[in-house]
Amino acid sequence: MKFVVRLKTIEEITELISMGADVFLVDTPLAVKKVGLEMYDLLETIFSYGKEVYLLVNKMIHEEDVEPLNKILSKAKDNRITGVVAGDLTVMVKAKELGVANKVIYQPGTMNTNSFDNEYFFLKEIKGITISKEITLSEITKIFTVKKTELSLVGHGFIDMFYSKRKLLTNYFIFKNIVRENIRENPNFRLNEEMRKDSYYPIFEDNGGTHVFRNLALESFDEVEELEKALDDFFIERIFIGDEEYYDSLKVYNNKMSREEFLEKYQDKYNKGFFYQFTEKIKGELDEN
Amino acid sequence: MKIELLSPAGNLEKAKIALLYGADAVYIGGKQFSLRARASNFDLAMIKELVDFAHGINKKVYITMNIVFHDDDISGLDEYLIYLDEIKVDAIICSSMIVIERAKALTNLEIHLSTQFSVTNSLLANYFFHEGVKRVVLARELSLAEIKEIKEKSLADLEIFIHGGMCVSYSGRCTLSNYTVLRDANRGGCAHTCRWLYDLFENDRKISDNHDFQMSSKDLEATEFVKDLLDMNISSLKIEGRMKSVHYIATVVSAYRMLIDDYYHGALRDVSFYQNEIKKAENRQTSYGFFKGETTTEQQLYNQRSEVPTKEFVGMVMGYDNSRNLLEIEQRNYFKPGDVLEIFTPDKTIVTFKVKNVFSQDDEILDAARHPLQLVRLPFALSIPKFSMVRKVKND
Repeated sequence: MKFVVRLKTIEEITELISMGADVFLVDTPLAVKKVGLEMYDLLETIFSYGKEVYLLVNKMIHEEDVEPLNKILSKAKDNRITGVVAGDLTVMVKAKELGVANKVIYQPGTMNTNSFDNEYFFLKEIKGITISKEITLSEITKIFTVKKTELSLVGHGFIDMFYSKRKLLTNYFIFKNIVRENIRENPNFRLNEEMRKDSYYPIFEDNGGTHVFRNLALESFDEVEELEKALDDFFIERIFIGDEEYYDSLKVYNNKMSREEFLEKYQDKYNKGFFYQFTEKIKGELDEN
Repeated sequence: MKIELLSPAGNLEKAKIALLYGADAVYIGGKQFSLRARASNFDLAMIKELVDFAHGINKKVYITMNIVFHDDDISGLDEYLIYLDEIKVDAIICSSMIVIERAKALTNLEIHLSTQFSVTNSLLANYFFHEGVKRVVLARELSLAEIKEIKEKSLADLEIFIHGGMCVSYSGRCTLSNYTVLRDANRGGCAHTCRWLYDLFENDRKISDNHDFQMSSKDLEATEFVKDLLDMNISSLKIEGRMKSVHYIATVVSAYRMLIDDYYHGALRDVSFYQNEIKKAENRQTSYGFFKGETTTEQQLYNQRSEVPTKEFVGMVMGYDNSRNLLEIEQRNYFKPGDVLEIFTPDKTIVTFKVKNVFSQDDEILDAARHPLQLVRLPFALSIPKFSMVRKVKND
């Protein structure tokens, strides 16, 4: 199992490699929730470190995005780029046209929830799929038993819950008549719901729209041994996490730091997501519209 | 080909009302595999009854199977698909690959791709067409110009949402409800967490006042753009709202039916006419969504204010006694002698009258129609068709 890390600066590459990074995930012009804005222009430098490089293309693809997508995927023909992480299935369709579908990792967040998806995309001859974020560990391991295509998981970090095309922060400031700069890609905004006083959900606006995240980051320190039996890639998400904390998480997964030390240092920020938490299919009697 | 007007229906009564009031097709969810399974009372026999009814008047029924399947949800899928094929359902609406592939393998069912997949471009629409999908329900995040471009390049038939509630998120890309209340938004459990009230903070500094940060959007109302969609030869115009009342369904379907028919007859009226018809039943604020491009504050709901329909639904006509000139009405809301009511028939006729007397079924004079679902009789000179809606005319 390879550890896929998001790259912010060239200067940190050597350090990340020493901590156990196997693959660098680089934001592209069609990435949302970016962490490393100019890395895409420095691919040659990144290649020189000899590690695998994936490109992140996780924006929803509208007609106007097709030509930029074409350019990114043409670049992905380079043998030194070994993966294209796709949020929208359109990336697979375009990649097939360009002969690079075998590099596509389909990572829509919510759609890869059953064993059949793994078989379907195996037959499409893409590189693999990322299992969805809202299913349990037992559901994940069930998919493992029929594994055909490469499987991956976003196993650590702040996971988004919501992707809207609407510019919700910008519109809110207009509604409030507040003149304000530095809204886009500002990582400091958080939402607090009136009935959940202790939960602060990061909200992030960028060119793709608005993203809302879980209040606590996911960690898989206890589960990684089980996961690595079948996962090909383990993505470590970086948004909203400081550099030192990010490096520490990578160290834990590579046995260079104890999980106890990490959790003592950062514990109040983390939980286990949906690993042990089933979700109901049917609505209850809550107040609903 | 004439465009299809597609209506939601949460139960058999609503489905029949929708078809009688001008929908060309209805979409319903069964008790399995649908995002509105909770709201459904459509068991297999009832689905068959509706299909037979619809086909008898040359209309169609589509079945939604648009949950995102987990492994545990797959049991019974094959049998369900085979049954729907046997009773000649006109199409299924789905978003999971497993449904598409099993339907192709086992049945001749027409397959429509749900908006839950959020298709936003022609490349993906054409991919699904080649995968055996006949129709793609496009994402609601598209402008009119984008829809036009997709239509020009698309091999698949296209269906466009024109009215009703909208997810704030790209459909199918939200797990707010999963995380906050442990209910799976993509398997029918959505708790509308996006409509809750929030405070906005920047670091530890509160920016909002009294939870006035809201993500919720106004409902979609696209009367202004229907002419353009008709010009483009879009295949189907879709209304959202399987949870809505019969009165809402009848009113909204009827308004869009008139708009579409007026277009084909070269007799379009000012758009405000159709909008005013819709307002007789609409109880949420509306806007035009993404049709003009990026949304603004105009498309957001910041104050949770509900709209009051301009006409209150008070009953449904259940029959007419020709021998005694009595109209039989099933009461839905309070009315009394002296009220001015408006009857709205499936063929769009509107009759306004003042209530003189209200009688019980035993011919007792009543001071008012007070009880929901109570059958009351009103003296009335004209024969009025069953399932006509009765509204109270409000004074401005």
